[in-house]
Amino acid sequence: METAAKPTLVWLEFQDCAGNTESFLRASRPTVAEIILDTLSIDYHETIMAAAGHQAQQSLAEAIERDHGKYIAVIEGSIPSGAGGAYCTIGGRSALEIAQEVCDGAAATVAIGTCAAFGGLPAAAPNPTGAMSVSDAVPGLTNLVNMPACPANGDNLAALIVHYVTFGRLPDLDHLRRPLFAYGKLIHDACEKRSHYDAGQYTEEWGDEGHRHGYCLYKMGCKGPVTYQNCPNIGWNGGTNWPVGCGHPCIGCAEPSFWDRMTPFYRHLPEIPGLGPHASLDKIGLGVTVGVAAAFATHTAVHVARRSLAGARKTASDEENES
Amino acid sequence: MSIEAEHIHMERVYVWEVPVRLSHWLIVVSLLVLSVTGLYIGNPFIPVSGEATQHFVMGTMKSIHFVAAMVFTLSVLWRIVWMFVGNPYARWNEFLPVSKRRLVGIWNTIAFYTFLHRDSPAFVGHNPLAGVVYTVVFGLFAVMIATGFALSAANAHMNAMLSGFQFLIPLCGGLQMARFIHHVGMWLLLGFAAHHFWSAFLVGTVERSSLLDSIFSGYKVLTPDVARRARKHIEED
Ligand code: HEM
Ligand code: SF4
Repeated sequence: METAAKPTLVWLEFQDCAGNTESFLRASRPTVAEIILDTLSIDYHETIMAAAGHQAQQSLAEAIERDHGKYIAVIEGSIPSGAGGAYCTIGGRSALEIAQEVCDGAAATVAIGTCAAFGGLPAAAPNPTGAMSVSDAVPGLTNLVNMPACPANGDNLAALIVHYVTFGRLPDLDHLRRPLFAYGKLIHDACEKRSHYDAGQYTEEWGDEGHRHGYCLYKMGCKGPVTYQNCPNIGWNGGTNWPVGCGHPCIGCAEPSFWDRMTPFYRHLPEIPGLGPHASLDKIGLGVTVGVAAAFATHTAVHVARRSLAGARKTASDEENES
Repeated sequence: MSIEAEHIHMERVYVWEVPVRLSHWLIVVSLLVLSVTGLYIGNPFIPVSGEATQHFVMGTMKSIHFVAAMVFTLSVLWRIVWMFVGNPYARWNEFLPVSKRRLVGIWNTIAFYTFLHRDSPAFVGHNPLAGVVYTVVFGLFAVMIATGFALSAANAHMNAMLSGFQFLIPLCGGLQMARFIHHVGMWLLLGFAAHHFWSAFLVGTVERSSLLDSIFSGYKVLTPDVARRARKHIEED
């Protein structure tokens, strides 16, 4: 690593909350200080750079020209396509335009956070700004890596960068272009509460006996069984802890469309469209099944009644004929 | 062979071959097991206390669910294969109404069930309305199998056999969506099962047909007229 040349990195923020920046600043293995001093030359990052205004714009322009085809681009936030791109502009240029230019000249592009990777919150229904992921806004990127999560884990980004700088290539990716080292397994499959899950021991209510014993959060709507991430292994804030470890269910923030699909966060299944948040699928299902059975019981009764009526009429007319 | 019933010479016709009856009952049993274990998986309702290492309730339910799922999947596949190699009453065109006669038959059957017609239209195998309903049911089976395998593929080890089904996950709209569809599908099938059980009972008792017995014995008892007419039409289709 020491002998490799220091590559250039530019970090762009579009429709974001700077959460991934905050997360990256807390990377601990290696720390951001180590990365900036030893590994990389970060030439543009609005939140942490000293320059501002035209000066800042100039450093971006210079970096992408000087290191064309060699720099790493990190994109944070989604890219709005509505109103001709007017929902997000920097220095008078639209996010779409900047992203296209910067990504086209990059050796590798990292879409950091769920917004850049999959559209995230800005793209949640009804998506008023026409927000798009990097892969949709700049189609055809062959060296794109998606690192979703809200925010993405700084240690994973640090690991990705170190891997790239050391080996000169990207790590193995899955079908959504996520690195397998961080997104190859379900949260559920590495969770420390898994033995409680398999045993059948669940937190039923916040703060109940089970919750205090660290029982599984499945019935509190935990999305660990449907979310790919390495949170249980790598932890957050220098490996101190992670959401499920401190008693909060996973909300599935690293999955595509999580804001639309993983809600309600504290329930096992999504809402039934049009029925509101409190309708229970099992109650409705049971109701329908019992309803069908009842309807058929009535139907049978009608037939039986009709037949006995017909039978009675027949007997009556027979009697008439006889007399 | 003919037997005496209500002063008419009835004919016993062999309708449901062994594979048809066997897959029917395997599907019934596995569907019930899958529903009970599935309801638990969706909402684990059995309280368990003590050391986690001493218990394996969810694990057991999921194992049973998986074994039943394999029985179910193979029975459904077997039945679909039989739609192409079985006797005329087992064939795919008993399900999809591709002939004009079966399309008209759908209306006649609806008219009978809604008390508009007094006489039930005569068919040897499935009546055309039932055929359409079973087509939908087989569609639901396919949905359950696809979403079920997507869910199984999710936590399969990278190189394990089931990970080959990972391509199903995006087709379902992600894992959480797969879960939801899988759960809704179960209730649709249970709703159908309630309907199916009652209508079999109804047809078996009210219409006094041999339909209910036929899924056990394979034989239906039909008037010579119906047997001949219906058989001729099946040959024509
Ligand atoms: C028609 C038959 C079936 C019924 C009624 C059924 C029912 C259910 C239900 C209700 C759930 C719980 C869903 C939830 O709320 O999370 C479930 C989960 C599941 N089923 Fe099925 N299922 C059927 C067939 C299958 C098949 C064919 C497979 C294929 C292997 C399968 C595999 C699974 C898996 C892997 C889960 C998820 C377990 C987990 O959460 O880890 N099921 N099933
Ligand atoms: S807490 Fe969530 S991730 Fe952990 S075992 Fe339970 S359901 Fe799985």
